[in-house]
Amino acid sequence: EVTLRSSDTHPEGYPTVVAVQKMGEMLEERTDGRLCIEVFHSAQLGQEKDTIEQTQFGVIDMNRVSLGPFNNIIEKTQVPSLPFIFRSVDHMHKVMDGPVGQQILDAFSDHDLVGLAFYDGGSRSFYNSQKPIRSIEDLAGMKFRVMQSDIFVDMVSALGANATPMPYGEVYSSIQTGVIDGAENNWPSYDSSGHFEVAGYYTLNEHLIVPEVLVMAKASFDKLSPEDQDIVRQAARDSVSVMRELWQEREKVSEDRVRAAGVEIITDIDKTPFIEAMVPVYQKYVTSPKLQQMVADIQATE
Amino acid sequence: MELYVLFGTFTFLLLIGTPVAFCLGVSSFATIAYLGLPPVVVFQRLNSGVSVFALMAIPFFIYAGDLMVRGDIARRLVALAGGFVGHLRGGLGQVNVLSSVMFGGVSGSAAADASAVGGLMVPQMKERGYDTDYAVNITVVSSIIALLLPPSHNMIIYSIAAGGRISIADLFTAGIIPGFLLAGLLMVAAWGMAVRKGYPTQPFQGVRMLGTLFVSAAPGLILVAIIFGGVRSGIFTASESSNIAVVYALLVTFFVYRSLSWSDFIEATFAAVRTTAMVLLVIGCAAAFGWLLAYTRVPASMVALLQGVSDNPIVILLLLNLVLLLLGTFMDMSPLIVITTPIFLPVATAFGVDPVHFGVILILNLGIGLCTPPVGAVLFVGCAVGRIPVWDAVRTIWPFYGAALVTLMLVTYIPALSLWLPSLFR
Amino acid sequence: MMKTIALLTGRLARVALWVAGIGLVLMTVLIAAQVFWRYVLNDSLVWTEPASVMIMGWFIFLGAAVGIREGYHLSFDVLLYVVPQRIKLVLHTLSDLAVAGFGVGMIWYGWQLAERTAGNKLPSLGISGAFDFAPIVAGGVLIVLFSTERIARRAAGLPTARFGEEAEID
Ligand code: NA
Ligand code: NA
Repeated sequence: EVTLRSSDTHPEGYPTVVAVQKMGEMLEERTDGRLCIEVFHSAQLGQEKDTIEQTQFGVIDMNRVSLGPFNNIIEKTQVPSLPFIFRSVDHMHKVMDGPVGQQILDAFSDHDLVGLAFYDGGSRSFYNSQKPIRSIEDLAGMKFRVMQSDIFVDMVSALGANATPMPYGEVYSSIQTGVIDGAENNWPSYDSSGHFEVAGYYTLNEHLIVPEVLVMAKASFDKLSPEDQDIVRQAARDSVSVMRELWQEREKVSEDRVRAAGVEIITDIDKTPFIEAMVPVYQKYVTSPKLQQMVADIQATE
Repeated sequence: MELYVLFGTFTFLLLIGTPVAFCLGVSSFATIAYLGLPPVVVFQRLNSGVSVFALMAIPFFIYAGDLMVRGDIARRLVALAGGFVGHLRGGLGQVNVLSSVMFGGVSGSAAADASAVGGLMVPQMKERGYDTDYAVNITVVSSIIALLLPPSHNMIIYSIAAGGRISIADLFTAGIIPGFLLAGLLMVAAWGMAVRKGYPTQPFQGVRMLGTLFVSAAPGLILVAIIFGGVRSGIFTASESSNIAVVYALLVTFFVYRSLSWSDFIEATFAAVRTTAMVLLVIGCAAAFGWLLAYTRVPASMVALLQGVSDNPIVILLLLNLVLLLLGTFMDMSPLIVITTPIFLPVATAFGVDPVHFGVILILNLGIGLCTPPVGAVLFVGCAVGRIPVWDAVRTIWPFYGAALVTLMLVTYIPALSLWLPSLFR
Repeated sequence: MMKTIALLTGRLARVALWVAGIGLVLMTVLIAAQVFWRYVLNDSLVWTEPASVMIMGWFIFLGAAVGIREGYHLSFDVLLYVVPQRIKLVLHTLSDLAVAGFGVGMIWYGWQLAERTAGNKLPSLGISGAFDFAPIVAGGVLIVLFSTERIARRAAGLPTARFGEEAEID
C-alpha cells in the first residue's frame, strides 16, 4: 500500500488540486487500494522551483507545476510558453493531446522525471488601472508586472511596454499606488488576487495559453510494477478531462464575479499586430531546428 | 516517531546552548535521515528560505537603523520624543510604541519594524537607565503593530491562501482599529512597568526647547515622511522603501549632519551584516523545519484533533487561537499562514466567523508567535539589537504578552473591532 | 601554535566580513538603481532583483559563519545556568560538533545541489544555476573551520565567545 505525495502551489479546491485528488480516487479503485495520492496543496512543500527539485530527488512522488520553471531546464518546454503560439484554448488542447505534447512529455525522462499529463493554465491577458487597451499602441510605455522569466520580459518589451518583475504579493498595492500600471493573468487569478479591484480594464488579448504539467518522480515511478505504471499513466490521462471541466466552471465563476464588479472587459481587439510584434521573440528563443520544427508542427495543427 | 526525533533533537540541542538556527537545521537533518529521505532537501529549503526578495527589507531596515544610530539621527529623534513625552513615566517606552505605529504603517514587516525601531530606541533607552530587557521587550511586542496596520504583505498572503475570495482592501482596513488598540494597551503596560521599576522622568523642557529639538531632528522626521509618502504615492514598493531609508540615512549623515565618519560607516555595515546574518539564518533553517512539519502532516492532525473536541463557536475560536499560538511558537509566519488558512478558515466560517475577521485574528495570533521562543524572528531581532540572551528577555516579557493577549481576545470576540471600519467603505 | 592558527582564522573571518559588508553595500546600490531607473529613466531593470537576492545569500552565509567564530548567534541558555563549569564545557563542545556537522552538510549537499542545477540557466541573469548554491558551500567551509577552531581553543584552554558574553578572541 503506497501513498504518493503530490505537491501543488494552488489552494484546496482549486481545479488542479481537485483533479489530482480525483486521480488518486481512480488509482485506489483500480489497484484495490494499493496506490493512493495525498495532495500537499497551497505550496506547503515549497514553491514550484523547489518542489521540482524535490521531485527530481524523489522526496515527493508527484508534482503539478507550470511549464515556466522548466523553461531553463528543458528546452522543449519553451515552445508552448511562447506568446501567441496557440490560436485558442481548443488549439492548445489539440496540440498537447497530440504528438507534440507527447514529445514534450518524453523530454522529462532525461531529468529524473516522468511526464504524465498536461493540465490547463487558462489564457493570460493584460489588465491595468489606466485605460482600456485596444491596440498595441495603447501599451506604449506602460509598466506591467510579469513573472521572473526571460521570455515574458522579452514579450512585454517587444510590445513596447515596460516589464517589471516583482513578487506576486506586492502587485496589488503596487497597482493601487501606481508603481506599476498593471499585470497580466487569467480569469481566476485576476479575480482571486483582487487585482480587478484596482485594475479595472481587462483586455482579452490572450497572449499566453500555457498548459501546466503533472510529473512523477522517476525514482517513485520505477518502484511500481509495469501494470501499476500503466494504471498511473491512464489515471493521469483520465484526470485531464475532469480538470478541464472544473477549469471551465472556475473561469465562469470568476468572470461573472469580475463582471459584476463593473470591470471594463475589452474583447474587440485585432491580434494581428500583437502577433507580428513577436517575430524578434521567436527569433531569439526558437533557435534549434528541432524547436523550429515543433513551432511549425503546432502552427500546422488544425 | 519521526516527530519525536524532530522535537527531541531540537529540544536537546536548544538546552545545551546550540545556536537556535542550528537547533532547527540539525534536528531537520536528523529527522530527514531517520525518514530515509535524501538530506539534500534540508539544504535546499535553507537556501530557498533565505532567497526571498521580500526578506530584503530586513537587512535594509537593520542597516538604516545602524546608520541612524551611528550617524546621530537616532539621538536627535529620541531627544525630540523625550521633549514631548519624556516627562511621563517611562516616556521612552511610550515613544517606542508610537514609533512602531509610524514604522508599522510603512513596512508591514514585524521583523523590519523591530530592527528599525529597536536599533534606534534600545541603545538610547539603555543609556537613559532603562533595563535592557524592558527596552527589548517593548520593542519586540510593539512591532506586532506593523503586521496589523496597512500595508501588510501578510494580509495579502492570507488573501491568496484563502483562494482569493477576500478583498485585500477590506483586510487592510480591518487591521487598523486592532492595530491602534494593541498600541494603546501596550502603552498602558509600558506605563505600569515603568511605575513599578521607577524609571526616570525628566522635567518638561518648555515649548521653545521643543522647537529647537524639532529643527534638529527634522531630517530624521522627513525620513518617515519620505517612506510614507513614497509608498502611498507609488514612487516605490514597500520593500524598496527600506532601501530608500538606507540611502537617505547615508545622505543625511554624510552631507547634512556630517556626523558619520568613514570608520562609523564601515562599523555600521559590519554590524548590519552580523545582525542580518543571524536573523536570516534562523529564517532559512526554520524553512527546513517547517517543511518537515508539513511533510509529516502536523497541521492537519492538529485540526482533526480540534474538530473532535467541541461544536461551540466560542470554544472553537478559543481552541483555534490556542493551536495557532502553539504553532506560531515553533514556526514562522508566512509559511504558517499558507498552511493553516486553507485548513482553519473553513472551520471558522462554518462557525459563522467572517473571513476578514478571521484574517485579523490569524495575523495577530501568528504575530504573537513571532515574539515567543523557541522560534520567534522578531524576538531574535530584538535580542540581537539589545545584545541580551533570549532567556533574559522572556523572563520579564509577560506584561507585554498580556497586553497582546488581551488585544487578541478582544479582537476575537468583538467582530466589530475588525469589521466596522471596512463596512464604512463599502 | 594554537595562537598562530587563531591569528590566521581571525584574518579569514575579517576577509569574510569584508566580502559580506561589500555585498550589503552593493545590494543597496542595486535596489536604489532599480528605483532610479524606473522613476527617473522610466525603464524597469529586470536583473537587479535576482542579483540582489543572490548577493543576500552571500552575506547571510558568510556573516553566519563569522558569527560562529565571534559567537553572536542567538542561543537559549536555560540549562547552562545550572550545570557545573566542567559539564558546561563538554556541552559547548557537543554544541560546536553539531554546528560543524551541519557545516559539513552545507558543503556536501550544497555541492550536490550546485551540480544538479549547473546545467540550468538562471532567469534574467543568464548564468548557471550552480551559482545559487555557491554561498551555502562557501559558508559551510567557514562554519566547519570556525567551529573546529572553537573546539581546539577550548581544548587548549583559550576563551571562546558566546552570545551575550564578552570574550577577547583575537
Ligand atoms: Na516597537
Ligand atoms: Na514564535
